[in-house]
Amino acid sequence: MKKSKRFEVLAARPVNQDGFVKEWPEVGLIAMGSPNDPVPSIKIENGKIVEMDGVARSNFDFIEQFIADYAIDVKIAEKAMAMEASQIAKMLVDVNVSRKEVVDIVRGLTAAKLVAVFNTMNVVEMMMAMQKMRARKIPSNQCHITNVNDNPVLIAADGAEAALRGFDEMETTVAVVRYAPFNALALLIGSQAGRGGTLIQCALEEATELELGMRGITAYAETISVYGTENVFVDGDDTPWSKAFLASAYASRGLKMRFTSGTGSEVQMGYAEGKSMLYLEIRCIMLTRGAGVQGLQNGSVSCIGVPAAVPSGIRAVLAENLCAAMLDMEVASSNDQTFTHSDIRKTARTLMQFLPGTDFICSGYSGVPNYDNMFAGSNWDVDDYDDWNIVQRDLKVDGGLRPALEEEVIAVRNKAAKGLQAVFKELGFPAITDEEVEAATYAHGSKDVPARNVVEDLKAAQELMNRGITGIDIVKALAKTGFTDLAEHILNILKQRISGDYLHTSAILDKNFNVISAVNSRNDYQGPGTGYQISDERWNEIKNISQAINPSDYDA
Amino acid sequence: MSQEKMIEDMVREVLKSMTKGSAPAAQTVSTAAAQGLNPDRDYPLATKRPELLKSPTGKKLSDITLANVLNGDVKPQDVRIAPETLRMQGEIADGVGRTQFGDNLRRAAELTTIPDDRILQIYNALRPYRSTRAELIAIADELDTKYNAKINAAFVREAAGVYERRNRLRAE
Amino acid sequence: MQINEQVIREIILQVLQGMEQPKPTTNTATAAATGRPMTLVEKGEARPGTRADEVVIALAPAFGKYQNKTIVNIPHSDVLREMIAGIEEEGLTARVIRVLRTSDVAFDAHDGTKLSGSGIAIGIQSRGTTVIHQKDLPPLSNLELFSQSPLLDLPAYRAIGRNAAKYAKGESPVPVPTKNDQMARPKFQAKAAVLHIKETEHVIQGAKPVEIEVKFN
Repeated sequence: MKKSKRFEVLAARPVNQDGFVKEWPEVGLIAMGSPNDPVPSIKIENGKIVEMDGVARSNFDFIEQFIADYAIDVKIAEKAMAMEASQIAKMLVDVNVSRKEVVDIVRGLTAAKLVAVFNTMNVVEMMMAMQKMRARKIPSNQCHITNVNDNPVLIAADGAEAALRGFDEMETTVAVVRYAPFNALALLIGSQAGRGGTLIQCALEEATELELGMRGITAYAETISVYGTENVFVDGDDTPWSKAFLASAYASRGLKMRFTSGTGSEVQMGYAEGKSMLYLEIRCIMLTRGAGVQGLQNGSVSCIGVPAAVPSGIRAVLAENLCAAMLDMEVASSNDQTFTHSDIRKTARTLMQFLPGTDFICSGYSGVPNYDNMFAGSNWDVDDYDDWNIVQRDLKVDGGLRPALEEEVIAVRNKAAKGLQAVFKELGFPAITDEEVEAATYAHGSKDVPARNVVEDLKAAQELMNRGITGIDIVKALAKTGFTDLAEHILNILKQRISGDYLHTSAILDKNFNVISAVNSRNDYQGPGTGYQISDERWNEIKNISQAINPSDYDA
Repeated sequence: MSQEKMIEDMVREVLKSMTKGSAPAAQTVSTAAAQGLNPDRDYPLATKRPELLKSPTGKKLSDITLANVLNGDVKPQDVRIAPETLRMQGEIADGVGRTQFGDNLRRAAELTTIPDDRILQIYNALRPYRSTRAELIAIADELDTKYNAKINAAFVREAAGVYERRNRLRAE
Repeated sequence: MQINEQVIREIILQVLQGMEQPKPTTNTATAAATGRPMTLVEKGEARPGTRADEVVIALAPAFGKYQNKTIVNIPHSDVLREMIAGIEEEGLTARVIRVLRTSDVAFDAHDGTKLSGSGIAIGIQSRGTTVIHQKDLPPLSNLELFSQSPLLDLPAYRAIGRNAAKYAKGESPVPVPTKNDQMARPKFQAKAAVLHIKETEHVIQGAKPVEIEVKFN
């Protein structure tokens, strides 16, 4: 066949570098509406669910048993299940129906019923619903801070910049697992140099993640993964009971935590039982609610390439975010891992959460160049900061970030690197040279900073654990070396675990370490003029981009 | 032992020695009578009801100062949550309709007195194929009698039954 | 529901054919892919090893049997040869087994560590995802994880073999440099899912690991 020049150009477009697959329902490679998805049903006897979505209690897998016994409110279930799916969908978009009325119905629904509700909705309706159902009144944002070499100086500097730019939460992880204590320590110090009250976590294997939290080196946890089929749950090395116990373990140490799940993980791990990705994800969301966890990171997360490859996949991702909000939980709505070569596609995908606002629109936005992002890249990275800020300004939407001046960014990066340098010296860890501090201060990414002795660092990181170093030791080291404000900030973070206020749904801390959560900042959206309104102060911050010319500078 | 030996093992040892030295003197698990807390009036507790808050070691929020950290009065075990606090936060959770979350906080309250390393061990024992039924029941009994953690004990017993039915116990 | 195996095979074939053929990795590979065939002889149940100088390579259920190349079309025979060469370069012996009860790379490797005389094992899936694991670590932890299978080339597999051997000798090697390409997911994740589903079809619940004798032809 003779080749068309137009098709040649199209073939070279970024979007055609992406992988796409036709639906394959038999193995669950389908986003929504698999022919194998169950038909909604419920039977209750003596206050116990004896049949759910066509499965008798004796045949429940462990997820179904957990959902039936812990997630569904049997007092409302029969009434709620008797409603038409479309009727519930209409309540979701009706501004005259309050968030609470919806929440009270949803707690009586099964997974198949929730799927039926979403099957009736388009994405605009889901966004309208999200605007109302988000738990916290004020939307927010989260970022990733990592680098390919696990360079701690750079992590501290990048954490500081990201905090300054507005992220209320930040997450690190490792290239090499044994670096974890240093990554967490560096991010703790960096975050507080950028903006006191920013919360940090380190994504690791479950037990190790808990240990760092217990030590007071991290402030919360998120990588507590749950899955929608029993086989995949077991491959994830857990059960609903072990995960629920872990949730209580975190709370018992006064640590905020949320679970993580997402569409596509089950088919990615090979055991989707022919069910749609959304149906399986809703089981995860209900399980999370049943475990009594305050919130969930979902929206496919690391599996985004799977739903994004099939039809209606990005719609399913919005539906899963919305579902978590309807179950009255905090939603960290993904928008994180890279799923496309196309800037158009990536923006379209993000608007679904950006426009209505979620508790954390990205979880997270890459606060480092994507080549340094050890979550295998994010949908948004540092090179997109100005785009993000300008889209906020264009649409008058609060996406959680603010424009930052070069001099203020340099100042906090430098302070963070110096703070870490001082703590390393005080605790006897491998020295951080002035040259490293300087490089990290002005760097774009890890290509701009000198290499460290990895073997020595790994030994010292192990020693940090060995010596039983805790958050209190970090506070002391900072105070002794003159970083009093950083010491105060970290102590204030540690104090949160005495009061437990920040354990609650959607909690973040403001710069004065006051808790803002879905208890004292409840979303009360009920139509135009209600709910979260951008304050004049915040609008000025968003408006004031340095790229804009000032007309008064040009008077004749 | 190689340097590469598992961090977790070493940490466990260290934690063990730490908890040996500083185990909170057999605290009587107070079941804190309901305070009648109201989410709108009393939350956040740190600013609205600070008088109700104490660390398990008896420190008030106002005792946690940088000066007290530097003079050694504030130690790592002073920045932990007390079971009473978790039960109060559970009441707040109930007050905003988040009953499962409230239940989680009440389970957590029972776990506050269990040492870190034992918590990690119990978590690992609850993972699939890690434990026999008898081992899980023994943990439940320990939670019950040693730590007075009644809700958690029942929870672990329930898990033992589910794991048995679903073949997720360790084969002997 | 019961899925007809024949149908699945046909669909997978169609799906795979419909997907873009990835370009070979650009890294200047010292070891060229030869694609020389190998024979994997199954020798019955794999037993715990006693030699402290062995490293176990634990193959996922379909590796070199039902699938024969990685996600970027590197022949499994070359991958295995390079890993073994890396181990032998350090003066240690490689022992190959196949894990059947799981297709998860972490558990695959973890099962390997329990049989390895040194307590060190490498786990590898058909798509190429690899992990170096150590006995007594939690299953989902690891010494080194190479989760981005499209980025692994033959020099990387050799280096993985070498590092595994060094761990077995009690050394602390510099980890094999982790590659990161944020565009690997958009391009390959759906294909990775398809390959993994195909691997998982060969999981046999409760089956014991099998000792493998490798013959490079």
